[in-house]
Amino acid sequence: MNQTRHIYPFTAIVGQERMKLALILNIINPSLGGVLIRGEKGTAKSTAVRSLANLLPERSQVLGCVFSCDPNIPELACESCLEAMSSDEGAQIISSKMRVIDLPVSATEDRVVGTLDIEQAIKKGEKKFEPGILAQANRNILYVDEINLLDDHVVDILLDSAAMGINFIEREGISYTHPAQFTLVGTMNPEEGDLRPQLIDRFGLVVDVQGESDTALRTEVIKRRLEFEKSPDEFVSSYAQDELALSEKIVNAAKLLPEVEYDARMLEAAAEISVEFGVDGHRADITMLKTAMAIAAYSERKQAVVGDLHQAAGYVLPHRMRKRPFEDSVISMEYLENRVSGILNQ
Amino acid sequence: MANITFPFAAVIGQEKAKNALIWNIINPKIGGVLISGEKGTAKSTLVRGLAGIAPWIKIINLPLNISEDMLIGSIDFEHAVKHGEKRFEPGLLYYANGGAIYVDEVNLLSDHIAKSLLEAASSGECIVEREGLSYRHEARFFLIGSMNPEEGGLRPQLLDRFGLFVEAEGEHDLRKRAEIARRRLEYEKSPSLFEGKWLAETKKLAVSIERARNTLLRVEVTENAMRLAASFAQESNCAGHRAEIAIIETAKAITAFDSRTVLSIDDISEAAKYALPHRARQQEENRQQQSPPDPELEPDASEADSNSQERRQESEPAENSRPERESSDPEDIESGKQDISENGNSEASEAEQEAPEQIFDPAEAFEVSSWLKETRGAIVKKGSGKRSLVTTGSKHGRYVRYTLPKGSDISDIALGATLRAAAANTKIRHANGMAVSISEDDIRIKIRERRTGNTIVFVVDASGSMGARRQMSAVKGAILSLLNDAYRKRDKVSLIAFRKESAELLLGITRSVDLAEKQLSVLPTGGLTPLAAGIDMAYDIVKAAQIKDKDLLPVIVLVTDGRATYSDNSPDAFADALRAASRIGASKYKAVVIDSDRNFVRLQLAEKLAEAMNADCYQIEDLHAASVLAAVALSL
Repeated sequence: MNQTRHIYPFTAIVGQERMKLALILNIINPSLGGVLIRGEKGTAKSTAVRSLANLLPERSQVLGCVFSCDPNIPELACESCLEAMSSDEGAQIISSKMRVIDLPVSATEDRVVGTLDIEQAIKKGEKKFEPGILAQANRNILYVDEINLLDDHVVDILLDSAAMGINFIEREGISYTHPAQFTLVGTMNPEEGDLRPQLIDRFGLVVDVQGESDTALRTEVIKRRLEFEKSPDEFVSSYAQDELALSEKIVNAAKLLPEVEYDARMLEAAAEISVEFGVDGHRADITMLKTAMAIAAYSERKQAVVGDLHQAAGYVLPHRMRKRPFEDSVISMEYLENRVSGILNQ
Repeated sequence: MANITFPFAAVIGQEKAKNALIWNIINPKIGGVLISGEKGTAKSTLVRGLAGIAPWIKIINLPLNISEDMLIGSIDFEHAVKHGEKRFEPGLLYYANGGAIYVDEVNLLSDHIAKSLLEAASSGECIVEREGLSYRHEARFFLIGSMNPEEGGLRPQLLDRFGLFVEAEGEHDLRKRAEIARRRLEYEKSPSLFEGKWLAETKKLAVSIERARNTLLRVEVTENAMRLAASFAQESNCAGHRAEIAIIETAKAITAFDSRTVLSIDDISEAAKYALPHRARQQEENRQQQSPPDPELEPDASEADSNSQERRQESEPAENSRPERESSDPEDIESGKQDISENGNSEASEAEQEAPEQIFDPAEAFEVSSWLKETRGAIVKKGSGKRSLVTTGSKHGRYVRYTLPKGSDISDIALGATLRAAAANTKIRHANGMAVSISEDDIRIKIRERRTGNTIVFVVDASGSMGARRQMSAVKGAILSLLNDAYRKRDKVSLIAFRKESAELLLGITRSVDLAEKQLSVLPTGGLTPLAAGIDMAYDIVKAAQIKDKDLLPVIVLVTDGRATYSDNSPDAFADALRAASRIGASKYKAVVIDSDRNFVRLQLAEKLAEAMNADCYQIEDLHAASVLAAVALSL
């Protein structure tokens, strides 16, 4: 092992603009509910997620806390951090980057939710909680490759935690509760089976990716990849400028987001679109508006406009529309665009 | 973690769910509520919001991944190690005493946990006899459940435990929708500001609930009201007497919430709308086995009971003819149909005996399909839920309880249970520097439950020879009832159709039975019969799926008349089909052949195929769903 592993720069990824934007929007507003990326292998899904986390500036967290608690939001901190924060010295704070936590399809339930710390139990006869993947995922990105192949009961746990932002553990003599607020990024190949309706609805946004079909772009993809592999140092530093600019843009957008306004017409339009597309429940309307506001913030605007909603609909609706027989599970964007435009231009 | 929840009072619409929750708080004797509805309809938001309007009610969240010992309690391991004493460490049921237990996605709860929960709910106490402990404590609580019926049904015993049932639906009114979104956005921007804004409303509601709780003590129930409740329950053929009790208790809460002390007829009928829907659908079964009046019931109630039995006799004819007449009523179709699919273990019912004549009626197929679309059809889960409990060596599945290991194969140790066993004995052993000394006798292993059902691959002949419309609709009708069964049992399905010159995978292996149903309903027929291609494709799909999941239990259901007319490989299409069939036979995949040959002279080709596949063969006449279901069930 020599130096730190190089991560391919986010800004060097060719194409896949919609996927990149979806990920960025989730960073700007972590409550959007994650991204589900549907598509074939080799479309830079994993690279994009990892490089995005790497691009963001460091943030503060409590030293040694497995949940990466935010020292500035005590309401969401775990018990030990709360204790440390209220002690005289206060909690020790470090800066670190957002991480991407992998949830492998083969993960067992114990590893996901956490379990009894067996070493402590045998050596000292004490019950201690050994945190699992959900603990690590708090304030980070939880990345599930091939999420449609995940075991049912693991999916249930994910749902539970994703909905509440809290992981409840009642097992092996351990009763424990800890924060589990994560950005869920899942990937799947639709040909290998669908995701359960309840889980798919939890994903705020969906992006269908394809390999680039433009020959020039394809060539560029290969060229950059080869360059990166040949001399990663040089490659990474040649994008440092772009990376910094994007990082700043995202941070500014997140700061601007609370000030973004929307008008009554947008509310109605979101409702109209949802009804028109026959979606279940209200999550679509709400996510559509939130996405539109994040888009506005990313475009450095304080006012969300109908165009933002239009763009947001493309991320929010595809997986929530009731499908018709013989229709592909992937709905054509063109069709969606047309109908949304129809509503918005009334 | 301090949590601000979305205020109950700020939820728009969902009046029924709100009512049911409020009434339960006023009068916990109602026995809880099940909220069923599509995703994103504020189901759990409402439940969590209860804390704001009724802070005195303890609502314990029951996570889906709970293990049995954590539910009912076990030995306190730490105490055992440190003091060498066995001390009972209470489980979740103990803490729920006097309050409510909330189970989100209750239909996904493991059967075993559900059973323990039911036991406590019905006896009002929790009895622990395990790990050398004998302990009992009171466990009075009511259940709040929420579920999305798309995800599967609920077992009837559990369903009956819920005093009330409501359905939550998305709002369709545009202005209301917009307001819902607006409030949510406002809340997310600053939860504490939003909460403050709604504080007055929340207080108001809390005060009126508090007042209603006091009024409740003074609400009088007249004999007339009891009689009416009993007859409501009787008319909808509810099992036992839980229904009328729920109606009365609910009506009392309604009266009290309305600041009255005298129950009106309207209160009873309002209450019945909430207390009956989930119980009423067991109609057909109960008609057979009239439950005798419960001897323990108060004299008043049983009097009302016998009264209404008389009344019922008068109303019976009308009731009986309803299912046939009003085919649009989902509940009736549901209950009639349920019986058919239930046939394997219940007595023959009227509906079932009539089925063979009706089955070829295209309308029947339509009825079945419209009933399948009804989400309500999925609320009741029959049988044990999953067809096959997979307990292989794999560590996949939810840990529900533990057991002693069988033989020397110790791979999946239940840590907590093992430690508890060891802790109880450690004092008398040499602990070699460790706090706990584990000997072989202490080892407990996990019993895991995996909710995967079977994977049913339907291979449907869509060739011209099946084109006789009635034939195809009969086939569709039968497959639909199989599909519906698969839905409840959480099976995965796949649909292959073969026609013209190739087989087409209409639906890869998926749990979305809904999709399969849609695909099937628009399946066109016509062209040649590439039978071999269809069978081969089924084989390939099952084989590929098995590589991914070793626990997979595949069943291939082939629907054909066996008249193969086309093959890529061989001029003799049928011979090629036989070759494909025997490949399945050799692979030992389970298979069922349904012979759709309805010609006057039967060639019995399907039977030959079945023989090659080592499968049972059924005539399309048998397709009256019951026997085929039994057949499929048998081959599982």
